[in-house]
Amino acid sequence: VLKKRLVKLVVNFLFYFRTDEAEPIGALLLEHCRITKEEENVFSISFIEEPERKYCFECDSEEQCQEWIEALKRASYEFMRRSLIFYRNEIQKMTGKDPLEQYGISEEARFQLGTHKP
Amino acid sequence: MKLNERSLVFYATCDSPADNAGFLYKRGERHTAYHRRWFVLKGNMLFYFEERESREPVGVIVLEGCTVELCDAAEGFAFAIRFGGAKSRTYVLAAESQAAMESWVKSLSRASFDYMRLVVRELEKQLEEMRWGPAGGCGGCRGAPTSWKPKPLGMEPSPERLPALPAVPPKENGCAVWNNAPGADPLPDTSGCDGHDGEGNPRPPPLPPRRRASSSDGSTGAAAAEGPSAFCRLHERYGQEVARLRQDWLERRRGPR
Repeated sequence: VLKKRLVKLVVNFLFYFRTDEAEPIGALLLEHCRITKEEENVFSISFIEEPERKYCFECDSEEQCQEWIEALKRASYEFMRRSLIFYRNEIQKMTGKDPLEQYGISEEARFQLGTHKP
Repeated sequence: MKLNERSLVFYATCDSPADNAGFLYKRGERHTAYHRRWFVLKGNMLFYFEERESREPVGVIVLEGCTVELCDAAEGFAFAIRFGGAKSRTYVLAAESQAAMESWVKSLSRASFDYMRLVVRELEKQLEEMRWGPAGGCGGCRGAPTSWKPKPLGMEPSPERLPALPAVPPKENGCAVWNNAPGADPLPDTSGCDGHDGEGNPRPPPLPPRRRASSSDGSTGAAAAEGPSAFCRLHERYGQEVARLRQDWLERRRGPR
């Protein structure tokens, strides 16, 4: 059974609302999840600890479906962290300097290379 | 509000390293007694457990849009996590030492997804400028006025000195549409959020595409307000380089002419 919902991606949460209400009825935390293209216009979100349970979403068009898939794949905090570590590394290789130093956050545990594993 | 609690519990208890962990005293909501809890900070989520050995957290604080402030010295190593909404609760926590308090305040005030995104964008911009020269026409998100304000970081006089990047307004249908330039995703693992190469090495992710300003039809991805995508240009450049390399390789394979 498909129910029409207003869906909002905010940081690493996917909120969903009944279309006429201001408060969300639910939210999905988007960490350790897998976004899968299903049949036409449909994608699903499943989570690592319960992989057979799929939250399915049907979009209005294939294009919209692709946009959502791409957005959701990049939505996790962990993805963003990996991007940061990657850029930091690249810039350091190119300039010999740590770009986080000017912000005073070089020593932050969360930005360290090799600290964060799946 | 429904929440995928099992996923939260998984995130809290899986063996990914925490950004901070330790005992803190947490003041109760109605009664002002403090309770000692085991706190684990992962990403933008601050979980707390009754005991260090507990298998599930008893609660979580989502650290978005909050400020972290020191409390009066009378409370002893106390600090508060404050949210903006009228109905929002302020969480008062106390550490067991000055050093612990400072460590927590620092890590909490930088824990938000928004903050991480700000830093990523700044580095991305630096990288682009280093590779292709000062970016023209792709600096941040222009156009649509926004009702969001960048959240203040709280206690510190902000040694970060990050430029105030304009916040991205949510799109009408709620989807923050990413600029999906072709070839934007060289990552072989495109099937999930937590793709990793299994060895703990950060696999080079693609440069995250830029968000576009809200258009009236959020889903069609019409031409961005910010002009030609930086990503398309990058793709062009890399594509040319790859084509050249391939040509060289083919010629070498054929042997000397």
